[in-house]
Amino acid sequence: MRPSATPKRQKGAALKTSRSTAKPAVEKAPRRGARSQQTRFSSRLRAWGRHHRSMAWDSFVRLVRYPVGNLLTMLAIAIALVLPAALWLTLDSARLLDAELDDSATLTVYLDLAADDAQALRIEEAVNAEQSVLETQMISAEQGMAEFQQALGLDDVLAGLDDNPLPISIVVRPESVDPAAMQQLATTLEALTGVDEVRVDLAWVERLRNLAELGRRVALALGALFGLGVLLVVGNTIRLSVESRRREIEVVMLIGATHAFVRRPFLYSGAWYGLGGGLLALCLLGMGNHWLALPVASLAESYGASFSLPQLNVTGSTILLSCSTILGWLGAWLAVTRHLSSIRPR
Amino acid sequence: MIAFEHVGKRYGGRFEALAHLNFRVARGEMVFLTGHSGAGKSSLLRLIMRLEKPSRGRVVVAGHDIAQLHASQVPFYRRQIGVVFQDHQLLFDRSIFHNVSLPLEIQGVEPREAARRVRAALDKVGLLHREKALPIELSGGEQQRVGIARAVVNKPALLLADEPTGNLDPQLSADIMALFEDFNRIGTTVMIASHDLALIARLRHRILRLSDGRLVADEGAV
Repeated sequence: MRPSATPKRQKGAALKTSRSTAKPAVEKAPRRGARSQQTRFSSRLRAWGRHHRSMAWDSFVRLVRYPVGNLLTMLAIAIALVLPAALWLTLDSARLLDAELDDSATLTVYLDLAADDAQALRIEEAVNAEQSVLETQMISAEQGMAEFQQALGLDDVLAGLDDNPLPISIVVRPESVDPAAMQQLATTLEALTGVDEVRVDLAWVERLRNLAELGRRVALALGALFGLGVLLVVGNTIRLSVESRRREIEVVMLIGATHAFVRRPFLYSGAWYGLGGGLLALCLLGMGNHWLALPVASLAESYGASFSLPQLNVTGSTILLSCSTILGWLGAWLAVTRHLSSIRPR
Repeated sequence: MIAFEHVGKRYGGRFEALAHLNFRVARGEMVFLTGHSGAGKSSLLRLIMRLEKPSRGRVVVAGHDIAQLHASQVPFYRRQIGVVFQDHQLLFDRSIFHNVSLPLEIQGVEPREAARRVRAALDKVGLLHREKALPIELSGGEQQRVGIARAVVNKPALLLADEPTGNLDPQLSADIMALFEDFNRIGTTVMIASHDLALIARLRHRILRLSDGRLVADEGAV
């Protein structure tokens, strides 16, 4: 399938013309014309596919023949994959990687204590009229009190108050969560009559964002580092298997095997290692999930919340398996390519 | 078919394995290459197989200066040459059948066609009944015949052999040589390196004699 084959073929034809009459008819068929060119190409394509299939199977059989050693290799790969994957899942579960984070960026407009419901409605209208306001939500003094009580658990103390000390407030979701834009919107809203104060819940949004960015980067860095680890594990294993099949490689190179041909079984071995490691990693993640589920659930319950550990969904699993397979393949490629140059037929 | 033009080969700058080699081998010829051990027979064959490049001069095979071949073309060049090694170079974890079919597998020959050709080659060397055996179960002479079957299975125009009768008794050696003559009779160019002078003298083919890397005699040339 290699383009470089073409000039060689012509050479082959030249060599072959020396054949005497004893040559079988098949060999003598003229090899010119578009049609024979096409059949030759398609037959070579078939041969190529055939070799891929047979090497995929052959390397799988070799893998199964030594289950313990190969399982250990895959386990090493799995462990390298589990760490970054688990971190990623944790971040995901904390919604730190979620786009919904932006929803939590709000401004709270506190009205004057004296403002009544009619005034509040008018102000809300005015707020809504602002270009950069996406939506608003009015929180009456009673609602505010109820939330406050719930948040603090100070029912008794607050129940003792004669008057509700809380003003009516309006929660504003801005169009843009850009800090400067929000600050500007706050200034505009503060100027409206009947508005006492505008609070921008910017600081914690920013903090959360930075945290998310930090987590993302740590996960990616760990992923890259452990991905490199997978490359090394596979590379080393393949290096040993190239070494143990050195004689075979020398022989096939003596009789005209291309590098691609020699490389192929090892690439498939690498891909199998990667895939096996990926599957084991999924198992480990599942086991970890199972192991932690109970304490996490009781912990969440003690806070009156319901929270379940995140599971890797179909997309996530597919990504993990593809990554591990590609890493295995790549590790094998690096190892074989590096090694083949040192193998010369005797 | 083969032309050596002022070929010299040095190893490590000092040691001169071959020097001033000039000769031609015509298509369909059968040639013996002889000389004491270390005379350069193997080096010469390695040059033709393009396992090495000459330090000087040109090695031309079938009209092509093979030193000019790009590394990626070399495998395709080697497929045109059948080689029989003194130590057989068989794969011991595969059956005789699979050993012989290896060149066809490398060339991507369709399995049914390959099986047909493998059996034809094994039949030719008289080992068709052992196709399922492993090389280790065979005698030295039989292993050598498997090596020959593998060398001829893709019908090369050029057949090289390096001491093919090295470890065999006279009767087996004569049988092996007779096999080579059969292939030569159907038009294959054959070049055999051997120091079994008594045997090759009986066979009445051209003999190239090497001594210390030089061609000292070219006997029986046509």
